[in-house]
Amino acid sequence: MAGVIDRLSILCFAGTYALALVAELSRFVMRSTARWYTAFGLTVLGWVVQTLFLANYAFKRASAAPVSTAFESMMLLSWIVALIGLYWMIRSPRALAVGLFVLPLVLGLVVIAGWFAPRESDWTQWGGTIAFWGTVHGVFLLLGAVFTSVAFFVGLMYLVQARRLKAKKPSRTEIGLPSLEQSERIHRAAITIAFPLLTFGLLIGIVLSFLGTADIEATPVHVIRLTDPKVLSALLMWLVFASLLHARFRPAMRGRNMMVLTIVAFGFMVFAWVGVEALRLRTAHGKVVNTEGTTRP
Amino acid sequence: MRLLAIGVDHRSAPASVREALAFDQGKLGPALEFFSRALEDQEVAILSTCNRVELYLASPGESDPLTSTASDLLAQFHGIDPCVFANHLVTYHDQGVVGHLFRVASSIESLVLGEGQILGQVRDAYQASTERKTAGVILHTLFQSALRVGKLVRERTGMDQGRLSVASVALDVARGVFDSFTDKTVLVLGAGKMGELTLERLRTMSPGRILVVNRDPNRAIEAAARWNGQAMPFDQLDAALTAADVVVSTTAATEPIVTYNRYVRVQKARRNRLALILDIAVPRDFDPAIGDLDQVMLYHVDDLRSQAESNLLERRKGIEPALAIIDREAAACYNRLVHQRDAGLLLQELGLHADRIRERELAALFAAQPDLSPTAREAISRMAIRLQNQFLHHPRAAVRSAVEEPHHDHPTGHPHPVLTFVRHIFGLGDRGSNSLKRL
Repeated sequence: MAGVIDRLSILCFAGTYALALVAELSRFVMRSTARWYTAFGLTVLGWVVQTLFLANYAFKRASAAPVSTAFESMMLLSWIVALIGLYWMIRSPRALAVGLFVLPLVLGLVVIAGWFAPRESDWTQWGGTIAFWGTVHGVFLLLGAVFTSVAFFVGLMYLVQARRLKAKKPSRTEIGLPSLEQSERIHRAAITIAFPLLTFGLLIGIVLSFLGTADIEATPVHVIRLTDPKVLSALLMWLVFASLLHARFRPAMRGRNMMVLTIVAFGFMVFAWVGVEALRLRTAHGKVVNTEGTTRP
Repeated sequence: MRLLAIGVDHRSAPASVREALAFDQGKLGPALEFFSRALEDQEVAILSTCNRVELYLASPGESDPLTSTASDLLAQFHGIDPCVFANHLVTYHDQGVVGHLFRVASSIESLVLGEGQILGQVRDAYQASTERKTAGVILHTLFQSALRVGKLVRERTGMDQGRLSVASVALDVARGVFDSFTDKTVLVLGAGKMGELTLERLRTMSPGRILVVNRDPNRAIEAAARWNGQAMPFDQLDAALTAADVVVSTTAATEPIVTYNRYVRVQKARRNRLALILDIAVPRDFDPAIGDLDQVMLYHVDDLRSQAESNLLERRKGIEPALAIIDREAAACYNRLVHQRDAGLLLQELGLHADRIRERELAALFAAQPDLSPTAREAISRMAIRLQNQFLHHPRAAVRSAVEEPHHDHPTGHPHPVLTFVRHIFGLGDRGSNSLKRL
C-alpha cells in the first residue's frame, strides 16, 4: 500500500515535470514570452513537490543519508539535476532551451527510480563500519552521477548545435543553444570531476564487499563475484569513463567523439545502477550471500 | 476626437526630401513647441528617422486637424517651399492613423522588414512629446498601445529573428561556435570588400588578435594598420592558420589556396581546436571538403547568403499574422479612444445634470424656508454637494474603469455598454440628444 502511495506521489511531481516539458516543447509550434514562465514555474513546482517527497521519505526511513538504495540515489540525482537545470534557466538568456534537455533527463531518472530501481538493500541493516562506508560509497557514486548527468545533457546540446552549424541552415524554431565552446568547456569540467568520484565510489564498493563478508559470515569469501552483472556493468562504465578521460588529452578525439562517448558512459552508468534489476538479472549487490553463493532470505 | 498623421517615408519620398524635412535631436524639441503653439488645442508628436518623418496630431474636439495647415507649418518650420514635398506627403486619418503607427512600430513599414530600431525610435518620439507636454490623453493612449503592439508582433511572429545581411549572419555563426572572442585570433586572408564588412562585424566582439595575410605585403601592412592587426607574409600562411580561431578569407585566387590535406595538417598542429572559416571569396579559397572535419565549421559566402535569404523569407511569413494582430489591436485602440472621449463627455454631462438638480432643489428649499440663516444655508449647500459627490462616486469610477479595459467585442462606432447603462439610469438620454436642455 505504501508503495502505491509512494508511486502516486512520484506521479505528482513527475507529471508536473512532464507539463513543464510540454511547455518547453511548445517552442516548436508557437512563440510566447509566457512559455518561459510556464516552463520555469512548473519545474519549480515539480522540484518543490519532489523536495517534500524526499524529506518525507528520509523522515520515514530515518537513514543517515538518502543513498542507501538505488531508488533513493536516483531520486536524489534527479532532484539535484532539476536544481542545476533551474539554476541554468535563471542564469542564461530565455531563448536558451535548457529545459528541453534537462527535463527529459529528470523525468527519465524519476520514472526509472520510481518503477525499476530496487528500494531495499541488506547492507543498511548491518550498521557500524559497513553502514558508514556504504554511505560514503553511495555519496561518491551519486556525486559522480550528478557530474556525469551534466556532461550528458551538455554533450547532447553540443551535438545538436554542431549538427545545426554543419547543416548551415537557420533555426526554424526558437531553440537557443550554448556555443560549442561553452558546451565543450562545461563538458570537460564535468567529466574531470566525475571520473575520480566514480572511481573512489567503485573502489569503496569493492572493499566493502570484503568487509561485509568478514563481518557477517566470518568467512572471507567474495560477496560479489567479478562475473556479477552489476560488477561487470560498473566495470564497463569505469572503462568508458577512463577512455573518456584519456580522450580529453587526445586532440583527435575532441568534439563530437567525446560527446558520443559521454552518452555511452551515461548509458552504462544507468545500466549499472538499475539495468541489472530492471532486466531481473541475478546480482548479489547489496545482499547478504552465504558461502554457497546464494542470497540469504 | 480626430487624428491625423502626415509625413513622408522611404516609399513616398526620395532621401533628399526626407532629409529636408528631418527633425534631428536639436530640432525636435523646438519643433514640438512650434507645432503645439501653432495648433493650439491639438496634441502633437513627431517621429523622425532615416526612413520617415511623420507628424502625429490629435484633436480632442470634433475639429479636424487640417492637412494643409500641417503641411504649411512643416514648410514654415524648415523654411522650405511646400512644393518641395507636397507631392510626396502621405496622410492618414482617425483609425487609419492608429493602424499606420502600429504597422510602423511593428516594423512592417520599415525598409528592412523586422528591424529592431524602429520600436526605440517610436519610444523616443513619444518620450519627447511627453517631456515637452505636447502629448495628451489621446497620444498617450495611441503611443503606449503602439509600443505594446510592436513588442507583441515581434514576440508572436518572430519578425525580428534571424539576420538579413551576410556579415550579420557570419557574426551569428561565430557566436554559435565561440563563447568569447577576447581570447581568439581572427585571420583575414585577402582584402575583399565583403571580407572587410564581415571583419567590421567581428570586431564588435573585441577579438584578442587580428592577423592579416595578403600576397601583396604592402596591402597586408596597410590593412593591418587599419584594423589594429598584425601583418604576416603569405609564405607563413600555415602558421597564421594554426594560430587563428576564425578565418575570414576574401582573396581573388582562381582556385582554392587551402586544400583539404593542407588544412588537415594545420588542424593537427592546432590540436584539433574549434575553428570557424568564413570563405567569402568567389571562387572559393578553401576546399569544401575541409568542412567535413569534425571541429571545423566552414561557411562559404553562398551559405551565409542563403541563410540571410531564408531569414528574410521567414520574416515575410510573419507579415500576414502581424497584420491580423495589428488590425485587431488598432480597432480595439480606436474604440478605446472613442470610449475615452465618450466617457469624458458623459462625466461632464453627469456632473452638470447633478449640479442642476442640486441647485434646483436647494433653491426650492430656501424659497420654502426664508428664515434660514446664511450659515444654515451654507451648511445645507455643502451637505448637498457632499451627497451629490458620494452618490456619483461609484458611477464615475465605473465609467472610468470601463473605458480603460480593452473591449475587442465592441464594434467601432458603437457606444460602450457601461456608458449607455449609466446614461440610461441617470436619464441623460442618448448621446448627442442633449438631455441637459430638457432639465
